[in-house]
Amino acid sequence: MYTCTGCSCLCDDIEIEADGDDVKQVRNACRRGAGIYLNLNSSRSKPSVDGKEVDFNTALDKAQRMIAESENLAIYGLDTTTIEAQMLAIELAERKGAYIDDNSTFCLGDFVKMILKKELPSSTLDEVRDNAYVVFYWGTDPYHSLSRHMSKFSYYPRGKRRQRGYEEDRFLVVVDVRKTHTAKLAKKNARFLEVRNDVELISAFMDALNGKAPSIFTKEIPRIIKEMEKSDFNVIFGGLGLRYGLKGRYDLFKEFFEKLNERTNVYFIPSGCHPNMRGFNQLMFEKTGEINSYSFKEGESNEEFAFYRLLESSSIDTALIIGTDPLNSLPFEYVKRLAKINTIVIDPRETFTGRIANVVIPSSISGIETGGKFVRIDGVEVELKPFAVKNTGDVEILKRLLEVV
Amino acid sequence: MAITPMEIYKLLPKTNCKKCGEQTCMAFAFKVVNRERQIEECTPLFEEERYEKQRESLLKLLEPLKEATETGLIVDEDKCTGCANCIVVCPVHAADDPHGSGIGYGPRIEDPIYRLENGVLKIINMEKCRRYGKNRILCVACRENCPSDAISFLEG
Repeated sequence: MYTCTGCSCLCDDIEIEADGDDVKQVRNACRRGAGIYLNLNSSRSKPSVDGKEVDFNTALDKAQRMIAESENLAIYGLDTTTIEAQMLAIELAERKGAYIDDNSTFCLGDFVKMILKKELPSSTLDEVRDNAYVVFYWGTDPYHSLSRHMSKFSYYPRGKRRQRGYEEDRFLVVVDVRKTHTAKLAKKNARFLEVRNDVELISAFMDALNGKAPSIFTKEIPRIIKEMEKSDFNVIFGGLGLRYGLKGRYDLFKEFFEKLNERTNVYFIPSGCHPNMRGFNQLMFEKTGEINSYSFKEGESNEEFAFYRLLESSSIDTALIIGTDPLNSLPFEYVKRLAKINTIVIDPRETFTGRIANVVIPSSISGIETGGKFVRIDGVEVELKPFAVKNTGDVEILKRLLEVV
Repeated sequence: MAITPMEIYKLLPKTNCKKCGEQTCMAFAFKVVNRERQIEECTPLFEEERYEKQRESLLKLLEPLKEATETGLIVDEDKCTGCANCIVVCPVHAADDPHGSGIGYGPRIEDPIYRLENGVLKIINMEKCRRYGKNRILCVACRENCPSDAISFLEG
């Protein structure tokens, strides 16, 4: 049994049939997870300096020199590596007085922060399986982003207090702007709310909770609240649709949760992010009280210290990018500046950023070629068992980079 | 298109000639869907020239019968993303494998009906399915919970 590190579900029941590191068959993994194992050796990155292939140590020496010489360093990425490597990266940033940021800035970081600050009640996915009655998917389409989420944790499995599973013991609510694949599953004992404005929907829920008639979904909302009151454990999975739909009105969202929790127990779990995003957020929170976009020089977190803003304001001279591909995921307007500054990429696979980077250091794939720990999105630590140990891991590379600061 | 007895009946000679041994063409159509009889057993359809057009469209209609499993199940692997909803909802899995696929994990029994292999759904053991054999139940739990319509049954 292996743990898949394809998404934040971290499914721990993967079976692999292999001949050495040549994977023949992957069982129980979804299409995305299986793809990682089946294409283990394809498009792997090679050590390079200024576009020319060199040996591993030359690339590492060059990276060490760049980091030693840099005055304004930014470390970015880290969401697909282990917490051991994240700890070293944070230490490197601290010693160097550097900026550190990950994808949670524009992903679900805000929700994780509210949970870590205990402003939103949260629970674990195992508790959800055993107890949850009303399951909300708000602004997320787990069928695509977290394929096995519904069948492994929330709606379909039978749990200790939910022996009859989805047929009678669960109530599904899908909130989205269009009829997604997940919304198609909202049939019996379920509601699909097609919304235009999330704030309006929350206000309508608040009205209903205050005893007034809701302005929209006049039939559905009272029914959903009634269903929630039937059980002492309900859960809302919020995704990026909710995060951007709220337009920064987190105060309203927290008030909504307080109001709901006066009547019944409702928990919140973010859903649909990088596999170890929460691990990074938790480590940063323990160390600094902030979760991302942090500058160790100023000793504070600020929107201005988000990686794309740093690129926009040209305030960094070196970028250390670990396990992510900003050229692919961030707006080109910002990331084109990466070509003008020193860029070091540590990644197991070939990336677009790797093509324009000054130094590329290949690493092993976390969880498959090196062990370590990941933190699942609900805060549960998961120990990873490597299946074919090879290549140098992020931990060793970061240790070497730490030698020069 | 779904293969129903009515669709087949429409294309049969409808003469109730009893040459196949059934009392009516409709009865024969039912047995063709259930694969108890072969369409070739309707001799007038293949011997008489006036049925030629009907014969061609009927053979075309029955094409999917060949790829379908004994229970009439067809899995389109191209559409499957491996969400495993079908594996977990299956009532047979829940009964036989309560600590595996019953609670959301991959099947822990040797011969489950379905299993995810290389990220897509594979049929392992059809005999366990409630739709299999004489005393079957036309259960559609897996099809109902497949959002991408990768699972379909012959009867639609």
